Order: sequence, then structure tokens, then C-alpha cells
Amino acid sequence: MKPERSILPQHTITYVFLTLLGLFVVFPMLIAVSQSFMTNQEVNRWPPQIIPTEPTLASINAVLTQQDLRLDLWLRNSLIAATGYTAAVLLLCAPAAFAFARLRFPGNNLLFGFLLITIMIPSQVTLIPNYLLMRDLQWLDTFNALVFPGAANVFGVFLLRQFFIQVPTDLEEAAVLDGAGYFGRFWHVILPLSRNALTALGIFVFLFHYNDLFWPFIVTNSLETRTLPVGLAILNSSYAGQYRPMVLSGAVLSSIPILIVYIIFQRQIIQGITLTGMGGR
Amino acid sequence: MSANPRARLTKSTRFTISLKTREMLAAYAFLAPFMAFFLVFVVRAVVEAVRMSFYDWHILRPSRPYIGIENYLELVNDDVWWIALQNTIVFTALTVIGTTIVALAAAVAVTRPIRGQNFFRVLLYTPGLLSVGAVGLVWVWLLNTQFGIVNYGLSFVGMRPVNWLGDPGLVIPSLSLTSIWWGFGFPMLIFIAGLQGIPEQLYEAARIDGGGSADLFWYITLPLLRPTILFVTVTGVIAHFQVFGQPFIMTNGGPGRSSYSVIFYLYQIAWTAFRMGYGAAVAVCIAVIMAALTSVQFLVLSRRIEY
Repeated sequence: MKPERSILPQHTITYVFLTLLGLFVVFPMLIAVSQSFMTNQEVNRWPPQIIPTEPTLASINAVLTQQDLRLDLWLRNSLIAATGYTAAVLLLCAPAAFAFARLRFPGNNLLFGFLLITIMIPSQVTLIPNYLLMRDLQWLDTFNALVFPGAANVFGVFLLRQFFIQVPTDLEEAAVLDGAGYFGRFWHVILPLSRNALTALGIFVFLFHYNDLFWPFIVTNSLETRTLPVGLAILNSSYAGQYRPMVLSGAVLSSIPILIVYIIFQRQIIQGITLTGMGGR
Repeated sequence: MSANPRARLTKSTRFTISLKTREMLAAYAFLAPFMAFFLVFVVRAVVEAVRMSFYDWHILRPSRPYIGIENYLELVNDDVWWIALQNTIVFTALTVIGTTIVALAAAVAVTRPIRGQNFFRVLLYTPGLLSVGAVGLVWVWLLNTQFGIVNYGLSFVGMRPVNWLGDPGLVIPSLSLTSIWWGFGFPMLIFIAGLQGIPEQLYEAARIDGGGSADLFWYITLPLLRPTILFVTVTGVIAHFQVFGQPFIMTNGGPGRSSYSVIFYLYQIAWTAFRMGYGAAVAVCIAVIMAALTSVQFLVLSRRIEY
């Protein structure tokens, strides 16, 4: 049984600590939001201004209307690419994980062991050859380059296999008696019972891809095909010197969608990340 | 969905193929899409990277002569590589230690039986959702020498302005601080899960024996969390060793080369100097170092501890 939650004096230190840590977390974000409403002169002032004296939407407007900045397109690209990537990972990994978890075939353990070993190979070693392949396929600047090269996610297979193994076999046996084939067992028994695991992996790979910088940076090169993290890097290099509030506005605006999703689905996101981070244990 | 006599019939007529063979064929069919992608984008790419590392492969030059281990010899004598490696090691050590301590403290505090547990958990994870782009843009400004909030705060305790990102000795710790802010949420969640796995009776028993909070932490929490701490630190080492976005956005590797990381250097070689062969050699070396780190992880983690 859990002890009752309380705000007793014995927890004073805990509260003080959590409040300080909370401030450490929140303060940078609040400063960024607050200074997004400032003018250039107001930001470049000592002592630094915490609250805008005359709030203005000028820099937010500027970041949304500059010809060389396309926050709207970058957000759209990031969402499409991350969604496509997540779908590709789930579609490739789930069937493979089912085969490893449930089917007997020669080389099952050997192949799975080989895949596990390749987890040790960091993705950076594949960057140059895959980049050249994208170029030769003329996939540079397309969603294909953002979605497919990382889709064979070995960790995803490993994680889903862990979950599929835990599904009781009698449910599948019942399905087989009802005439289900291998695909029926996978589609009608295993997948519905592993919805939590699939959601968790989905959230994890979505967030990873949504925030990825290196690969999208090298495989996109026109204004319209960049993703949000890449766009922010460009915004920073072009405007940080002279128009700081614009840069901060860009950082703030680009973070709003994911934060709204977080506020709505906080429980699922926290659980999904914990579950995936623990490797399904 | 119920038993369909026709399906049974077709099944029995097909019984010329044994059940075993059918299961095997089904397994290969389930594996085929994944394996196709895996072979092209992982196996082929790794083999190709190793092969390329033995060639003088410049993206703009048509001739790509085989040069043996020349790239690797160049790497051994490449000062920038060693600077980048040293920076990466220092960054990784600082970030992993800092992240682990902050995450553990946060997890312990958040799992106390207090009101607002969930609020703090959700709040403290927030930076982890932001992209490195947003984090970098904001922290560059916070750490600004002239107008930054950090220096403003320090001026109250009488400190003179510090050039956080422009001082060769401070730039890596500054990037580390940013990364701790950004990244402590994930290990915090792992620690929370680990802490919730510790039976409450252990604490009760220790309290009856007269143990204070500090005793409980040192003699129960820490030893029982050992596997989780190992997991967090070793996965942290692997993650932070690959640091790229922070130096790329916040310092562009500077001042000088003081914040070059190995991945940043790989980027420079392959995508600004277009030396794909040499870049492949750098990538292979990074891979070998990280594979060594991961092997340590497997060795350490496979030692299961039972209490």
C-alpha cells in the first residue's frame, strides 16, 4: 500500500529542491518567450530585461514573414517525415519481431544475435555511404531520404520481440483453432494485444526523428525541404548577429506544437519513453 | 472469423508441404521487408564505409585511387582529430556525470510521497522534448557575455562577466551545462522506474532500525539502483559521445577548434571538405571506439545482481 501523499514539513527540503530544479528548467524557456516580445534594442541592454516594457509582435511577425524563413513548411516537413518514419519503423519491425518471437525457422537465434551485435555499430558509420546512395538514387531533397534509410531499426525489433514473447500463447492457439494462419495470428492476436508497446515505440522513434538534426541537414538543401531543427540552425546563423528576438521567436514558435501535444498526451508520452528507454523490461 | 470449413479444406489439400516448411516460409516472409532495408542501409553501408576508407575519395574528383591505410595514417597524425576526440571525451564525461546526478536527485525527489508528484515529473521532462535547434538558440543567448541572463545572475554575487562560449577552457563545460538541462529528463524517467521497483518494506525495516533519510539513501537506494545507474551512465556515454547539434549550432566548433566534437569533425571532413574517403576512415574509427564502449556496456549490464 502506498503511503498517503502529503505536504508535511518533513517534505520541505523536497519541495525546495523541486522548486529550484523546476525554475532551472522553466526559466530559460520563459526568458525566450518573454524576449520574443521585445525589440532589438530592448534585448541588447544591460541589465537584461526580463519582462518586455512595451510588448511587440514585430519579431514574431518577422520570423513568420521573412522570405528566407519558412517555419510553416519546416514544421509540415518535420511532421510528415517523422510520421512517415514512424510508420515505416513499425511496419518493418513488427512483422520481423513476430517472426523472431513466435516462429521456428532455421537460423532464428543466429540471425537475431547478428542483429543485436549490429546495435553496437553506431549509425555514423553508415552516414557517408547512405548519403552517396541517396545522391545516386536522386533522393536528396525528398521525403524518401528522410524516411527510409533509418527505417530498419534494430532496436525496434528487439523491443517488440520482448513484448510479443510475453503475450500468452493460448490466445494464438485459440485463433489457430478458429482457422487463423500466421498472418491472422500476427494481425488479430499479437498486434492488438501489444498496442501499448507499439505506441511506446512509435512515440519514441517519432520524437527521435522529429528532433534529429544531422541527417536531415545533409540530405536536404533547399529552403522548402528543410525540417524544423535544420531550419532553426539556419535561422540562427543568418539572424543571431543582428536580430536576436527573431531567433528567440523562432525557437519558441517551433516548440509550441510539440509542447501542446505533450500537455495533452503527457501520460502516454512519459510512459512510452520510460518503457522504451528501459528496453521493455 | 469462426471456423470456416472451406479454409480447412484448402489447408488439408495443401498438406503436401510440411507444417515445418510452411512455418519457415512464413517466418522468412515476415522478415523479408525488414531484412531488405537492413541489408541495403546498414550492412551494405557499413561494408561500403570500410571499403571507402582505403580510397582517396573526393566527391568532386572522378578518380578515386586505392591508397591502402593512408587515410588511417593521416588520422593518427591529424591534430584536429585528437583535439576533437579529447573535447568529446571531456564533454561526455562532464555531461554524463552531471546528467546522472541531476536525474537521480530529481527522481528521488519526485518519488517522495508528496503532492504534485506528477506535475513535477511532467514539468522536469519538458526540455527533453525540445529540438537541439531550439535549445541551442536559447542557450547561446542565455550564455551571451554582454547581455546574457547567466552573467546577469552572477553579477549579483559580484562576478565579472564570463565569456562562456568564447573561452577555450569554458566552452565545453558550457555546452555540457546546456546538454544537462536538455537531457536529464530521460534518465530521470529511468531512475523513477528503478526507484519504484524498490520494495517499500526495505525502507520501513530500516526506519524501524533507526535509519535516517541519508542512511536509507546510501544503504538501500544507491545499492539497489546500481544496475539502473550503470544502465543510465553507459547509455549516456554512447549518446553524448555522438554530440553534434550543440557545437554545430552554438559555437560552430569554436573558439578555434575548442568545441570540435568527433561527429562535428566528421561533418567538416565529409560535407565541407568533401573528402569522403578520409571521412569514412574517421567514421570507422568513431564506430570502433563506440563499439568498444558498447561492449563494456554489455559486459557490465550482463552481470545481473540479485538481492
